[in-house]
Amino acid sequence: MPEFKAPLRDIRFVRDEVLNYPEHYATMPGCEDATPDMVNAILEEGAKFCEQVLAPLNLTGDEEGCKWSTKGVTTPSGFKEAYKQYVEGGWPSLAHEPEYGGQGLPESLGLVLSEMVGEANWSWGMYPGLSHGAMNTLSAHGTEEQKQVYMTKLISGEWTGTMCLTEPHCGSDLGLLRCKADPNSDGSYRISGTKIFISAGEHDLADNIVHIVLARLPDAPAGTKGISLFIVPKWLPNGQGEPGERNAVQCGSIEHKMGIHGNSTCVMNFDEATGYLIGPANKGLNCMFTFMNTARLGTGLQGLAHTEVAFQGALAYAKDRLQMRSLSGPKAPDKPADPIIVHPDIRRMIMTIKSFAEGNRALAYYAAKLVDVAKLSPDAEARNEAEQLLSFITPIAKAFMTEVGFEAANLGLQVYGGHGYIREWGMEQNVRDCRIALLYEGTTGIQALDLLGRKVLMTQGEALKCFTKVVHKFCQANVDVEDLQEFIEPLAELNKEWGDITLKVGMAAMQNRDEVGAAAVDYLMYSGYACLAYFWADMARVALEKLNAGTTEESYYTAKVKTARFYFKRILPRTQTHKAAILSGADNLMEIAEDEFGVE
Amino acid sequence: MAEYNAPLNDIRFLLNDVFKCQEKWQSWPALKEQVDSDIAEAILEEGNKIAGGLLAPLNQSGDNQGVAWQDGKVETPKGFKDAYQTIAEGGWLGITGNPEFGGMGMPKMLSIHFEEMLYGANNSLALYLVLTVGACLAIDSHADNNLKQQFLPKMYSGEWAGSMCLTEAHAGSDLGIIRTKAEPNTDGTYSITGTKIFITGGEHDLTENIIHLVLAKLPDAPGGSRGISMFIVPKIWVNDDGSLGEFNQVNCGSVEHKMGIKASATCVLNFDGSRGFLVGEANKGLMYMFTMMNYERLSIGIQGIGCAEASYQIAANYAKDRLQGRSSEGVKYADKYADPLLVHPDVRRMLLNMKALTEGARIFSTYVALQLDTAKYSQDKAEQKKAKDFVALMTPVAKAFFTDMGLDACVLGQQVLGGHGYISEWGQEQLVRDVRIAQIYEGTNGIQALDLVGRKVVANGGQYVDEFMAEIRNFIEQQQTDVTHEFLQPLQNAIVTLEKVTAWVIDKAKNNPNEIGAASVEYLHLFGYVAFAYMWLKVVAVIAQKPDMDNAFYDAKLKTARYYFNRLLPRIYGLEQCIMAGSEDLFSLEEEQF
Repeated sequence: MPEFKAPLRDIRFVRDEVLNYPEHYATMPGCEDATPDMVNAILEEGAKFCEQVLAPLNLTGDEEGCKWSTKGVTTPSGFKEAYKQYVEGGWPSLAHEPEYGGQGLPESLGLVLSEMVGEANWSWGMYPGLSHGAMNTLSAHGTEEQKQVYMTKLISGEWTGTMCLTEPHCGSDLGLLRCKADPNSDGSYRISGTKIFISAGEHDLADNIVHIVLARLPDAPAGTKGISLFIVPKWLPNGQGEPGERNAVQCGSIEHKMGIHGNSTCVMNFDEATGYLIGPANKGLNCMFTFMNTARLGTGLQGLAHTEVAFQGALAYAKDRLQMRSLSGPKAPDKPADPIIVHPDIRRMIMTIKSFAEGNRALAYYAAKLVDVAKLSPDAEARNEAEQLLSFITPIAKAFMTEVGFEAANLGLQVYGGHGYIREWGMEQNVRDCRIALLYEGTTGIQALDLLGRKVLMTQGEALKCFTKVVHKFCQANVDVEDLQEFIEPLAELNKEWGDITLKVGMAAMQNRDEVGAAAVDYLMYSGYACLAYFWADMARVALEKLNAGTTEESYYTAKVKTARFYFKRILPRTQTHKAAILSGADNLMEIAEDEFGVE
Repeated sequence: MAEYNAPLNDIRFLLNDVFKCQEKWQSWPALKEQVDSDIAEAILEEGNKIAGGLLAPLNQSGDNQGVAWQDGKVETPKGFKDAYQTIAEGGWLGITGNPEFGGMGMPKMLSIHFEEMLYGANNSLALYLVLTVGACLAIDSHADNNLKQQFLPKMYSGEWAGSMCLTEAHAGSDLGIIRTKAEPNTDGTYSITGTKIFITGGEHDLTENIIHLVLAKLPDAPGGSRGISMFIVPKIWVNDDGSLGEFNQVNCGSVEHKMGIKASATCVLNFDGSRGFLVGEANKGLMYMFTMMNYERLSIGIQGIGCAEASYQIAANYAKDRLQGRSSEGVKYADKYADPLLVHPDVRRMLLNMKALTEGARIFSTYVALQLDTAKYSQDKAEQKKAKDFVALMTPVAKAFFTDMGLDACVLGQQVLGGHGYISEWGQEQLVRDVRIAQIYEGTNGIQALDLVGRKVVANGGQYVDEFMAEIRNFIEQQQTDVTHEFLQPLQNAIVTLEKVTAWVIDKAKNNPNEIGAASVEYLHLFGYVAFAYMWLKVVAVIAQKPDMDNAFYDAKLKTARYYFNRLLPRIYGLEQCIMAGSEDLFSLEEEQF
């Protein structure tokens, strides 16, 4: 398996050169500690940890998988030791409140670490990753006492967290959930019910596991308006805040799945387990939505992670593997055949992966910056604008990045031919692991409904406008830059078309609500390609500026411009396919009768 | 666990109504006595019983258990051996075999549907069967009568299995650089020495013998692909009287751990001075492989269809049963706690994508099989010539497009089930893993695309494409009914687009051979979408003549055709732009710039 190298150069290009993170950190209140030296140290040390500790456990973790017994779940060899090192290194506390032991660094910096951890070993990364959901819930809605008891332990990494939402009969439709919470006289609750697909629900990495559980109070209204949030620790904290009595929550089994074998996906049985209400009663879903953006962005990063892995793997192999001669004459005449990178179709695959990896990295850190601004900016208008942009771009980041991430992972496998299909090279694992990202944290279809239905159409297109305005300004600002026109012209055209299509869908949806769902996924994909066009144009702008100013890294920056060109010419035409599907309307989906989907 | 039911009504409709198989078969002397629609019906019915009743129940357990290797022996999962024997005893391995040596001589147009059922029910088990059939075909096409007599009857009867040994560790797509050597012995046989990898069904416990077809180089062979010969190398030596002799030093060194098809043994085979028979003439091995490869490649394409169909069945049933959310138009099933998934437009989009592509592929596979049969059986020279051209043109499309669409369909089938699609229980994730190999083996889809654009389009100046377009134009002219009307113009436009990119690629390739590879995969897809559109029009044209065209089967076909034309065919315009972007941007980066 090719050795993993954290893509530090590219991370720095995107953050420092394209998105001006140094200035952002220097001027944003609460980000002062993220000095260039500090950021650099975190990048370097984080990369080392990911490359040396986590990456070597990826393939073995997949082969070994998790093991369930009545005593609990055992993670693959080495996972526990790696987690211990992670905790000792202080990594869990990076982007959390200093009041509870955190380092108080910006969330956008935490996402850099998430990217690298995910690239090295996604399954492992999910254990600390799931803690974020629990921490976000506590941080936003917990009482001071709850924070003192739980945040401290979660931030230190001594305990981990989970999010318990799904039940056997309800996944996308949480309004149906049945898990119940009966009040005790001491103010606590008895939680009963079964949750499924609980990532990291049980494992042997930490001293305690804090479950955040969605359940219904006895008098709760039906549907989504009757859901409350509860903290249900595996071990009830004693007076000293240490794990005390065992709570009545058990892992009934773990799922056998396509991938992420190193992560335990658990059935969790709550049998009158003691729980504590967090946030207002019946407002559980609202509470969850407040931090859903970061969670979804985190899952979007999974798409980026698998794209990067596919890129590194495919490139190494394509340079090394000798097979046939270039059609334009031998390129390595001293060898029995040319390296396969000479073949145009191999290049097409690798360029496609490359343009997604680098384009999506820009998208991810653009969104990450918005997270900081929305949370920290003292300027209400700036906060509001960042929030609007973030709510628009989040479903795109989640679904688009994972959809094209899966395509990239498959292309990475394809470059290896038959060798891609066997375990040894890690490419097939990359595909299997990536596949889940299109499903959990809201499927692609659910993200698309959120984007088109809730975000764009519900605001009469305002949500879209706040982003197309950014693009428009960019095009205006660069209208005289001659070198850039090959990107600016198609981008400006696309930006206009985006609005036109939205208008048409909006009109159609007024007549027929099904038009929204009928257009949603194609609309989301169209939007993703359009976003990446903007980011690629912006990256080309920076690269051209560097080249014009004179640089020792000429090769690096020319590659950026050429990749931008590839993206515009060979990937961006896909928008036309999605446009045609969007405008074809709902009738071709709805006119066929249910029984005509028949299976013989 | 998933059940499998072969889409028999669809197959009957294609054979009888769309492609009029009975007329064709009756018009060809070699088939006249061999097959008619009653026999076809019996084969389909029995085939469905084998697939659904025997193979499908072993699919998931086979995946869980996988094959076990120990000391050179491979044990297949529980139940495989019995199932294989039942199939063998039913004569299924000889279904397309040469009647002179005990085969049933059935046309391809019929056998592909049986193959689809096998793949739909159990990919791993299907591969043991299909590889044997492929080896038989190679022997029947190129070996002399003695060898045929010696091997074919036992292989048709299923007593012996077959394998194809091409790939070596350093030589996959590029077979010209293989190193396995063949030294002549004094008795006319050869000693074969070398290591082959990725040999499907290279070793197993299903049969008493395995007949390997091995590519190797003679001592004085020219370099590259012109110096490759084909040998029959039995695992256990076969004496002149047909009895089994000694172990022939074909050792299975290990089996691969793979993404899917875990119950199929993918073997490293070491030939250690193993004795073999030369097939046909020396140094013609690769050419022999290619002549039979059209049959094989179509079969692997069919794997894409079989998997897509199986995935569709699971997804459609799930979408009807699973209650989640309410229709955006208001509650549809007030008596239930939620509406079935099928009310949601996006779930329908996924299912219709699968349905339109799977059924479209089934029509096209039948059409390509008809060309193969016409090329083989027709007495009319002109008709035969055209069929041969079409086979050459369409085989790479069938292999690559069916399997690319097969993966897409299975991934959508998985998506319909949400998180349940990711766990093993429902079978969807296994289908994704199993179908994934089909884009790789038997020539990767990139290789298929190069074959199409380089050898089948550019090399003859687009002549085959012109012939095909002429046929479609001619067909369009005959379809002037109200029912077909809405489809004619979009198909016209699609043809024009295909002609335009064809001329463009031919022109560009004159100055730069890299333009072929740069356009190839997208060209193949564009071709596939246009061909499917023609296929769907053929179906609509048949339905337009039916007095009961509003029955559910025909109505569903018509609406699926409409979906295809509205939502999938327009993909060609995005592809057109990608193709015409040319090769420049693929080669602008220096290697170190990646």
